[in-house]
Amino acid sequence: MKERTFLNIIDPVKDKMYRLALRLLTSKEAAEDATQEVILKLWSRKEKIKHYANIEAFAMTVTKNYCLDQLKLKYNNNMRIVHQNYESNHPSLQSEIEVNDEMEWLGKIVATLPEQQKMIFQLRDIEQYDYDEIAEIMEMNQTAIRVSLSRARKAIREKLIKKHNYGIR
Amino acid sequence: MELGKIEKLLERYDEGETSLAEEKILREYFLREEVPEHLKSYQMMFMFSTRQADEKLEEEPNISKSRKDWYSWTAIAAILVVALGIFFFNQPERMNHNDLGTISDEQQAYEKTKETLNMISQIMNEGKSDLVYLKEFNNTKDKIIQID
Repeated sequence: MKERTFLNIIDPVKDKMYRLALRLLTSKEAAEDATQEVILKLWSRKEKIKHYANIEAFAMTVTKNYCLDQLKLKYNNNMRIVHQNYESNHPSLQSEIEVNDEMEWLGKIVATLPEQQKMIFQLRDIEQYDYDEIAEIMEMNQTAIRVSLSRARKAIREKLIKKHNYGIR
Repeated sequence: MELGKIEKLLERYDEGETSLAEEKILREYFLREEVPEHLKSYQMMFMFSTRQADEKLEEEPNISKSRKDWYSWTAIAAILVVALGIFFFNQPERMNHNDLGTISDEQQAYEKTKETLNMISQIMNEGKSDLVYLKEFNNTKDKIIQID
């Protein structure tokens, strides 16, 4: 596989990989490094991956595993993991400060979820993968994924309501 | 889109039962319209997930100059430098082993040796003459410290 071909395959996936890494890891820098490392890993296995039916799902799985390994390493080193705020630099749909605050809060709420729920929420609600693909990426069955997703969605909204008292549903 | 329908979809959304198409309907509804107060939390969630998808990897992936490649090339370069160094520095020494300047004529060898030894003793004497000054130390010492 040529370098150009490989980069063309990776290009549409790299932002998704980065966002998944960002959801799991502590900072933008860590997420950028992780993405770079994973891309290198994939490149070194280029002869194998060209036979894969779904390279995108495979790339996401490798990203997931790499980030979880990183997290484990940090736990082992007794490092405190503080989820930093990563606000988007991009111009927002609505520029009111209030909405930005809400978004920041939501980021913090999602950060408190267990890793698995975090990842599934990321893959479904943000990246909009279908359940087949999520099952492949997460190496889990679909029922477990739906349960986990449902828990994540409910937990996020519950905490949001608790924090801001948005009335009863 | 009527509110009742949206609420039904939301119920299924909470259970993780909506399809991607249905979630798209919800997303479009919440991003476009003013929503009743009790659905505000959903609106925030859909806004959040939409915005999070805008996050982009800023640096371009770089695979051509991977660090591992770089390491292996420096290793090869280092080995080459060491090997060449050993090779070239051994060269002149090998020549010296064969030519130590041995003199075969006995008389000449005797003269040469004598000359060399004379030179050594001469240098020795020159050096020794400088040591005379050391006596001064003893003289001075004897003046100060009296040992009886």
